[in-house]
Amino acid sequence: MSDFRIDVKEEGDVVIIATDGYLNNVGGEKIAEACYEKIETGKIHFLLNLEKSTVVNSIGVSILIEIIEKLQDHDGKLGYFNLAPIVEKTFSIMGLTKYSTIYASEGEAIAGMS
Amino acid sequence: MVNSTDTDQFEYYLSSLDELGEILIEADKIESVATGILRLTLGTIMASSGAIFIFEKESTSVSELCSIGIKNNSKSIELSDSFLVNIKVYKYGHLDYDNQPDWIEGDFKEYLFSSNIKTIIPLFHKDTLLGILCAGEKFMSEVFTDIDYKILEIISNHLTKSLFNYELIKNVEQKKQELNIKLLELETLFDIGVAISSVLDIDELAQDVLLRAVGILNASKGMFVLQNEKSPISDILSRFNWGEEKFLLSKNIDVFQQMQNGNRGLILTGRHKTDLQIKLNEKNLIVVPLRAKQHFLGYMILCDKETRSGVENFNNLDLDILTSLSNQAAVAMDNAKLFKEITEAKQFNESILGSIATGVITINSLGEADSINKAGESILNAEKQNILGNHYMYIFEKDNEIIELITKTEDDKKICSEINIPFLTSSKDTVINISVAPRIDMNNNTEGVVISIEDISDINKVKNTFKRYVSKQVVDNLLDDDTNLKLGGEDRDVTILFTDIRGFTSMAEKMEPEKVVLTLNEYFSEMIDIVFKYNGTLDKIIGDELMVVFGAPISSNDDTERALKTAIEMQNKIKELNKIRTDRNEPPIFVGAGINKGHVVSGNIGSRQMMDYTVIGDTVNLAARLCSAAVAGEIIVSGPVMRKTEKLFSFKALTPIRVKGKKDEINVYEVKF
Repeated sequence: MSDFRIDVKEEGDVVIIATDGYLNNVGGEKIAEACYEKIETGKIHFLLNLEKSTVVNSIGVSILIEIIEKLQDHDGKLGYFNLAPIVEKTFSIMGLTKYSTIYASEGEAIAGMS
Repeated sequence: MVNSTDTDQFEYYLSSLDELGEILIEADKIESVATGILRLTLGTIMASSGAIFIFEKESTSVSELCSIGIKNNSKSIELSDSFLVNIKVYKYGHLDYDNQPDWIEGDFKEYLFSSNIKTIIPLFHKDTLLGILCAGEKFMSEVFTDIDYKILEIISNHLTKSLFNYELIKNVEQKKQELNIKLLELETLFDIGVAISSVLDIDELAQDVLLRAVGILNASKGMFVLQNEKSPISDILSRFNWGEEKFLLSKNIDVFQQMQNGNRGLILTGRHKTDLQIKLNEKNLIVVPLRAKQHFLGYMILCDKETRSGVENFNNLDLDILTSLSNQAAVAMDNAKLFKEITEAKQFNESILGSIATGVITINSLGEADSINKAGESILNAEKQNILGNHYMYIFEKDNEIIELITKTEDDKKICSEINIPFLTSSKDTVINISVAPRIDMNNNTEGVVISIEDISDINKVKNTFKRYVSKQVVDNLLDDDTNLKLGGEDRDVTILFTDIRGFTSMAEKMEPEKVVLTLNEYFSEMIDIVFKYNGTLDKIIGDELMVVFGAPISSNDDTERALKTAIEMQNKIKELNKIRTDRNEPPIFVGAGINKGHVVSGNIGSRQMMDYTVIGDTVNLAARLCSAAVAGEIIVSGPVMRKTEKLFSFKALTPIRVKGKKDEINVYEVKF
């Protein structure tokens, strides 16, 4: 089975997590784990670069919802950029876009989160 | 009369109820409502500890929503059936746990004991248990009063309503989520429907459908398997998340065979032990066939339906969705396959049409050109964009003969041809062969014509240039491979044969002019047949003299040999001819022949008005001299000719001769035949 990989970096106050692979249960958990670790250190603004995750399922989405809820408790927020059209549509239908923001590019995303 | 203590107590209870209202209004989550209510409740009745549980109907257990003063951290406790039956008695009241009824047992009993719970209040909405409020011992081990219980029951009533609302909201959220998933499924089906009409690449289509299917069914991985018509092994067209492992999937695998026999998709679980599960080393699979009309194309396989708590079996709804997806995908793939075949066939036809020298123009039912190949553009001397879309009457307006031919084909629905006609559309010098055939569609209806044009201008030039001088075979060789044809001046090695009728001038003086012409025509007719038999090029006829070249315009290794054979056969033929002439009382004719070989310059030599293909040079002159030196019936050759053919013919050395323009005498040889 293909691995789900993440790459975590920080741009000022914003944590950017670049993903690679299927955003499902496994992928979602990895993202959540990385987010929660950073939340512990006081980070509350997160961006997901989903360029290399072109497939997402509803389990992956539900984990993202959990992350959003957790961030809301800390007055933080979650955003995304580089989404494939099919992923963007899924996020929209599943209601994620009401509580988190999709940005067109990394630059726009960092500016939007700051 | 009410004393001051009772009044204070009463006011305290009222203020608690007031506070309860605020908690219910301000709180936004059930956890915060519950915590607020529990704190208020315990404070109001002065209890030291307590907890609120929420009842989970599916697991018949209670989960702790919040607790105060309880060290026992049991988050989920299963309730016994007897508890669920007996607790209904306390629907509108409370249970004093000091009595410890025997229907409270197991983990919950242990919890109540260890947490020192004294009062239990079931939270019922109508007949549905929503939760449980537990209160510990009263402050300073005092006993709860009736008013305490009354307050507890009032607060519990509000708590029940909150829990009921919470349940409602939770259900609505869950339904909303389910609806979102359904919407996503429908959107995916719609998207695939749209994709079907736009994606014509089979690989791209398979990947697109597979990724959507995996995502929509929460599968962990998937593959798109295509049946290979030429092999018993199926092709894995696309795979997702399945790693690099190579699976050899035979079309005889049990599951595949079931589907080839018309079965619909299958859900495979741990209960099944199919070859496919063994091959893929997976338990939970869902497999659907890809079937379009009567074509069986392959299968879509997904593996492991994911949930938050692990993997579960696929269900019938999943099967319906995947079947719907695969049906659409199969139609799309059938279309894509058809498109690919048509495209390949078109490319094949275009490549054939593009590579042939014949110009092909297709005319549609409106009479307009809708395709033309490269050769067609060249012959019409026009570019494609200036031809396509134009009516044939416009395209061929200068060539009425062609327009009539096309019209005739349209009317008669038969192939009509013309050969060797001028083609003024291109230029006044262009000559073509043309064939016009009706264009027949699949239903055998005529929908235009196909015009084939062969430009024979060059062929005619060659024929006109050579037909009088060379044999048909030489012309054919030239036409088959025009790289041999070099009509410009060039140096080349040739063998030259000259023949001359001995004493013809004096003989002719004694004959009537008409007889002279008849004699020469008979003689030349026989001689030229022999020349052409041996592929000689008839260069000139000067009076009674013939000049024949071997090795121009096409050279071969046996040029000299053929020249000698020609000369020998000529001499033999003259003997036969003389017998006939004798029978006709005509004087015999005698011919001398000379053959030389060497370098010449060949080419079209002459003026614009009169141009002939010929050879010039010393080699030619010497051949003529040898011919002059030969007596009647003799064939004299030069040294180079003898050396070239001495193994093939017999020669006799003659006295060397002196030739005009040559310092030294020339060795000459007589051919013995």
